[in-house]
This record gives sequence, structure tokens and C-alpha cells, in this order.
Amino acid sequence: MKTDVIVVGAGVVGCAVARELSRYNLNVSVLEAGSDVAEGSSKANSAIVHAGFDAKPGTNKAKFNVLGNRMFEDVCRELKVPFRRNGSLVLAFGEDDERALDGLKARAAENGVPVEIIGRDELRRREPNVSPEATAALWAPTGGICCPYELTFRYAENAAANGVTFCFDAKVEGIAREADGWRLSCADGREFEARAVVNCAGIHSDELNNLVSATKYAIEARRGEYLMLDRDEDGAFSATMFQVPSKMGKGILVSPTVDGTVIVGPTAEDIPDKEDKATTYEGLEKVKAGARRTYPGLPLNKVITEFSGLRAHETTVGDFILGEAPDAACFFNAVGVESPGLTSAPAIGVWMAELVAGKLGVSRKNPSIISADVSYWPKTRDMAPADLAELVSRDPSFGRVICRCEEVTEGEIRAAIRARVGARTLDGVKRRTRSGMGRCQGGFCTPRVIEILGSELGLPPEAFLLSRKTAPKALSATTISSQLSTFNSVDVLVIGAGPAGLAAACAAKDAGAGEVLVIERDDAPGGILQQCIHNGFGLHRFKEELTGPEYAQRYVDMANERGVRIVCGTMVLSVEPGVPAHVTAMSPRGGLAVYAAKSVVLAMGCRERPRGALMTPGTRPAGVYTAGTVQRLVNMDGIMPGRRVVILGSGDIGLIMARRLTFSGAKVLACIEIMKKSSGLMRNVVQCLNDYDIPLLLSHTVTDVEGREHVTGVKVSKVDDDLKPIPGTETHFDCDTLVLSCGLIPENELTRKAGIEMDPKTRGPKVDPKTMATSAPGVFAGGNVVRVYDLVDWVSRDSEIAGRSAAAYAKGEFQS
Amino acid sequence: MKMICINCPKGCELDVEQVGDEVRVTGHTCPRGEVYGRAELVNPTRMVTGLVRVAGMRKPLPVKTRTAIPKGKIDTTLFAMHQATVQLPVRIGDVIIPDVAGTGVDVVATANL
Repeated sequence: MKTDVIVVGAGVVGCAVARELSRYNLNVSVLEAGSDVAEGSSKANSAIVHAGFDAKPGTNKAKFNVLGNRMFEDVCRELKVPFRRNGSLVLAFGEDDERALDGLKARAAENGVPVEIIGRDELRRREPNVSPEATAALWAPTGGICCPYELTFRYAENAAANGVTFCFDAKVEGIAREADGWRLSCADGREFEARAVVNCAGIHSDELNNLVSATKYAIEARRGEYLMLDRDEDGAFSATMFQVPSKMGKGILVSPTVDGTVIVGPTAEDIPDKEDKATTYEGLEKVKAGARRTYPGLPLNKVITEFSGLRAHETTVGDFILGEAPDAACFFNAVGVESPGLTSAPAIGVWMAELVAGKLGVSRKNPSIISADVSYWPKTRDMAPADLAELVSRDPSFGRVICRCEEVTEGEIRAAIRARVGARTLDGVKRRTRSGMGRCQGGFCTPRVIEILGSELGLPPEAFLLSRKTAPKALSATTISSQLSTFNSVDVLVIGAGPAGLAAACAAKDAGAGEVLVIERDDAPGGILQQCIHNGFGLHRFKEELTGPEYAQRYVDMANERGVRIVCGTMVLSVEPGVPAHVTAMSPRGGLAVYAAKSVVLAMGCRERPRGALMTPGTRPAGVYTAGTVQRLVNMDGIMPGRRVVILGSGDIGLIMARRLTFSGAKVLACIEIMKKSSGLMRNVVQCLNDYDIPLLLSHTVTDVEGREHVTGVKVSKVDDDLKPIPGTETHFDCDTLVLSCGLIPENELTRKAGIEMDPKTRGPKVDPKTMATSAPGVFAGGNVVRVYDLVDWVSRDSEIAGRSAAAYAKGEFQS
Repeated sequence: MKMICINCPKGCELDVEQVGDEVRVTGHTCPRGEVYGRAELVNPTRMVTGLVRVAGMRKPLPVKTRTAIPKGKIDTTLFAMHQATVQLPVRIGDVIIPDVAGTGVDVVATANL
């Protein structure tokens, strides 16, 4: 089939060009080597809309940067993509740097970009977290931030709504001139013909050009490594914080993102392999050191993930190469579009479409037939309560929260898959919905997302494990209650039906509380015990050795006997302490509901530290899971994630899973622990490792994760007394799965949102151990939400204290 | 022989010695530790927990040996669990595999499904 224009590459530039071409009377196809849009540089960059003060005047970089920057409000409004003009600051540290600022100011004037230089005091007033070493700064108010992959896929959706066809997994390998145009052949044998080709192949755009033109280009992959900080850090800086470019490069930036996280990076390193997106120990150390220059208080315990991206750095011209190749008619290049490529993309799109349409002699479509559709779906996290309630009553799937960290619902995930250019991978769902992008990095939601992908796309869920590729105003219960009809009053409301919540509820009943309600987000009570099918629970509490599900069932039965009401499949969105406290919750069937409670017990449990928080270098393939995720997959969903397994960390869940995976037919090669002794209990080392001859390597850590699509191996090194890897001690393991068991963190989103005082040491709420009372009157807490326990028996015991206190508070008899 | 007691999270370090016909256990801090130490020398046993296929469902049923079985029988027990398929409904304590691997111990359900 012959089409008018083929765009090669579905990054932000390719999709912008395709969308602008769809405004003309042209048949347009996009060929993409990957399985999704934004699979190259567009998914991993600084997400900055540059002001344009630093590009060399007269270059394409300067021209399109400034043009593109001016277009961003309009484009993002049309495409329904978040964008914020937060402004940029370039920091000077001393006199040399201040002279450099003057140079940048002169350059800005030539480029037509408004800037001003501010002094140390003004800088400190605006950005209290900035280093006191910074002596001055260049302020560029037109700098902004945007989500690069969201911009890319909305460009693609609008292009598709206007007739553009997208072909994925279509790696162009050959191109030949035809009588009237070009014939492109793909690696899988597919062939495509078009009158004109637009080369937006990013890092590979030199290769495509060199197949047709005598004017050769050479792109070097310039790798940039980044760290991402948790939403807790939102507000650390208001502007994007650059440093004066030195001979060592542009330096490390620290910037807020439109999603409320903080991005730190990048490094700049030219690498020979255009696919090598691994992070490295040295790179991440450079990011940390560079960022600390701007932000001395950089909190490393807030790192949720690290990643790297490749910039398409063209070495012969050193500028964006845009336009028709001089010796290849109707072959148009967008080669070497590195930073400021994201900023320039809207302008390049419009300019390129005009050029191509002019060459082909076609006119614009009648505006009345151009669709504005971008397949927008509601983001429940950002919705006003009344709208959300209405949506859930219409479509209950928007009431089922799948990703707890980012509050992403099943409805959103299904919409992302059903979109015109819909998600087909875990990464596709992640980038379109943010499911799995929060602090647990997919630990809880991965099994559920693969189930949805499977049901939407008609595949078994495990197929999606082979490869992976704003702060809403806190829902204020007081304003909601006037808008919603559902309103319930209870005496004691317990959040979470795990061992802590059930023990608290039973104890509250025994202490004479009236109506006790437990709200649970999972489909059944029992919490994490349901997946802990091993024995070893209840020796203290029940004087016998039980398995997790048995221990859970005892408490479910006790709760039922006492008339405790348990509501499952319901996610609590906010707690507002007061008399009474208001608790807002959402479920597919019940929609949004507000409960007035005389007292509240927090029993949300804990979550696992994800890979991101560990800063393990290497690639980011499928096959890396936390121990709890593997436990859920194997014990609850009947899915074996792999056959040759390395376990990093010797936490109890990791040890337990070493034995379970062995039982299920996998070979567990080793358990790697960075400390000098196991963090799990000795009895688990004996009965889970020693019994099965699984080596425990103490004072070792994983220093590299290998594999592009799926894990193929890991490198393990010995560490010194400062926990730094010792060079020359590397050993290699061929494995298909890396399981992480590196600690648990209390889960306290609700606690923080409620304004309850936290304990930085335990990362749970501050409590009075005698009553388990938090800083908010009438709000108590029990179990792993307070601190991480070794033993469920003690979780039950301490939660019973919280339950008794909550009952006393509800009766007006509480004494602190 | 030095060993670590697996009865509870304390993980006491036991010293177990065969002196003639008598097995002497030291280092334990409770009676269970003494029993464990003796058994570990003479006939080490373990509780085995596992999963059994449920007819018509992806989700497996969690099961356990009702009491500890000899360590040497773990493989045969796991194989028997792997071979079994159960029909719902199942209650906690229902016998899924009687006298598994000739141990005289039943494999029982540990969840209500």
C-alpha cells in the first residue's frame, strides 16, 4: 500500500510532525521500531521546556527552542497535557561563574529571551533550599516543565484521531528510491511505500540518512543518568535549578516535575552502544555530588527510582539538522534533535509539515473536519469529589484503585489500553497512567495491571512479564459531605483489614465500642498474611504454629463473631481528623462515601523498598521484582516469574521466597546481603537457605543488572566496611529473575495527608506507646504502619492497644 | 554439633552432642529448644507448606503438612502436592492428601476457598 508520507520514529518529534501533517490532505503513516510511542529519548530526559538563553544565536537549536517555548501553553491546552511555566534559575558559585552569567544574559538578549540576574539574597528568598554557596543566579521566567511522554502520546492520539496510522515493531532497515517516492523495508519483512519520508529516528536518524544521502552524519549516544525523588519533596524548589555550564558540561539540574516529584540529573557521557540505557554506580555518584552543589540537603532516602536516557548528539554539525536532504528529493531529516528537542518539538512539527506539504503541493484540510480528540480519560486523582462520585456511579471501574501510590484506577488503565494508540506493555500503561511510578514502583500493582492488560488484549497475564517496557487538592471530607448523599456514622473506623486492623477492631468491640467498621482495599480481609502461606505465625498469640492464611482466618472469624463490619474492595482516599473525624473512601460498587467516625485506627501496614530506592546500577529489564510481589504472583496468582533466581537482600520475605521458589521448581543461585549479617531471622536462614544449600553471600551486593528486555544476569561484588563495592571482586550469575528483599517502609500517605506528626526514624506516625495515640486527637495507629515488626503476634498485641484506646475515645472516656 | 533453633525468632544457638545412648542439648532457653535439638540430631523434621492446584481456577490452594515430617521426605511431599488437584469448596483443616509420602501425616488446607 502506498501512502503519501511516512514518518520514521514515534518520539516526540515524529509524533508532533505526524500530528501537524494530519492537518493537510495527506495519508500519513508512522513507523516505529519499538512497541510504543516515546520509547527512545522522549521517555527519559529532563522534562524541561527550556527558555532558550543558552543556545548559540543563529542556530536551529536557538530558533526552534524560542519558537517552541512560545507555543507550549497553546499546544498543551489543545492536547490536555500538564505544563507549568515555573521559570529557570542558573546558579553561579563565585566570580568566574558570575561572569559566565553575564555571557548567558547577552546570549539571551540575542535570542530574544527575557532574563534577569538576581543576587544571593533574592535567590535565597525565592529558593530557601538552595546552597548558601550560590552567589547569584540568572532568572529566566519563560522556562517551564512538562511531561515528555504524555506530550508524545497525546500528539499521537490526536494524529490518529485525524487519520494517521501507527505501525509498531517496524524497524526500518532498508530504503530505496522508487519512481515516485521511497520504498522502506522493515526487519520483519514488511514493506511500505510513500511519496515522502520524514526521518525522525532520533538516535538512529544518522543511519537512516546515510542510507540515502551522500551527506553523512554521525550521531553519538550521549547518556544521561537521573535520580527521581518522592512526591514528599514536592516544593523543595519552585524553579528549575541549573548550574553554570562548565567545561565538564551543562551540569546537574534539580527540578520539580509536573507530577509533583523532583528530578535530579543528568550526567553526560558519550557511549559506543546506542541501546545502552543502564545506570552505573559512577554515574549515580556523579548525579548525587552534582545535585548536592545546588541542594546540600538532598535527601537520598527519598529516591524512588533512577534511570538513564540517551541524547542524539550529532558530531559533524552539532546542531539540529532539519529539512530536505540535498541529494534525496522528498527525504526530510530531523537529525540530531537533542536538548532542547522537547521544547523545540511543537515548532519543528509545524515547520516540517509545512515544508513537506509544500513540496508535495497539497492543501490544508478544512478546519471543520479536524478532530481535537486526544483520547482523554479522566484522572481520578485530580477530580473534584462530586465529579468522581458521578463517574464511579456511571463506570464502577473508576472506583477500583489499582496503583495505591499514585491512586490510579482500573478505569484509567483500561482507557489507556483502549486508546487509539493504546498501551500494550507494562511500561505503556505506566507512562500513560503513572501506575507503578510512585514510591513502591509497581510492587503492589504489577500483578493487577498484567491481569487487566491480559483481559483487554486477550492474552495470559504472565505474557506481560516477559518484557516491560498533581497533587490533587486533598479530598476534603467537609466539602464532600455537602455534595454527596452517601454518609455514614460509626464509632470506630479502622483503615486496613490485615492483622493489625482486625486485632484493633476486635479489641475495640471487646472494650465496648458500638459500631466498628473496617475498610479494606483488597478484595478479601487478611492483608498480606493471605499470601504468606508458610508456617511460623501465632506461637505467642495462639500458642500454636499457624500459616499466614490460618492466622488471618482466626482474626476474621473473631471479628465476625463480635459483629465488626468489614467492607472490602474499598480504598480510603483521605482522613480528616476532628470531632467527628471524616474518612472518604471509594469503591466500584459504593462509589465515593464519607464516614463520620468518633475515632479512627490507622492500620495500613507497610510496603517494600523498591529497586529504585536501592540505587542498583544497570539496565531496567523485566524480571526484577520485590520479594512480596513474587510471593503474590506465586502463592495467589499461580504464576512463576522465573527459573534461575538471585535474591538481593536477606529480609525475611526474601528468605521465605528462596525456599518457596525452590519448592516451585526454580534454582535459587544465591542470596546477596550487603551487611555483615542477615537482616532476616536466623531461623529463616537455617530453614530456608541452609536446608536447601542456597549460599548466603554476606558483605556482597549487586553492582550491575544485565538484560535489555528481560534480566539475563547480574554482577555481584564484595563491599568494604563503608559498603562500597571493592573493584576486582566481581562474580557473575546467569539468572532470569532478581528478587529484592531489602526492607519494609510503613505506608503513610493517608497519615501525612491528614497532617499527623511523623517520626523520621520509624517513618511512621509518632505515637504514645501506652495508648498508640497519634498527634491528631481521636486518631490511633497500630501495626506496621507505625514501625516494621518482625512478628505478627506483636502486631496484633500493639494494635489491640490502639483498638481499646479508640473505643475509649469514642465513648468519651479516653485519658492520654 | 552446633545448630540454631528454628522454633521462634530468638534463634538460640544450641550445642547438641551424642554421649553414648544419650543426646545432650545445651544452649536452649526453653523446653521446645531441647526437643528440637534432639530431633535435629536423630531425625530432623520440617513443616512443609505448599500449593495445590484448584480445578477450574488459576489461584492455587495453600496447604501444609499437619505436623512436621522427616526432612528426607520433603521432595516426595512436594511432588505429591504438585500432582494433586482439589475441587471447591475447601475449608481450613480439610484433608487434601492423606498420609503423604508414607509419613503418616496428612496434608491439609490452610485457607477457605
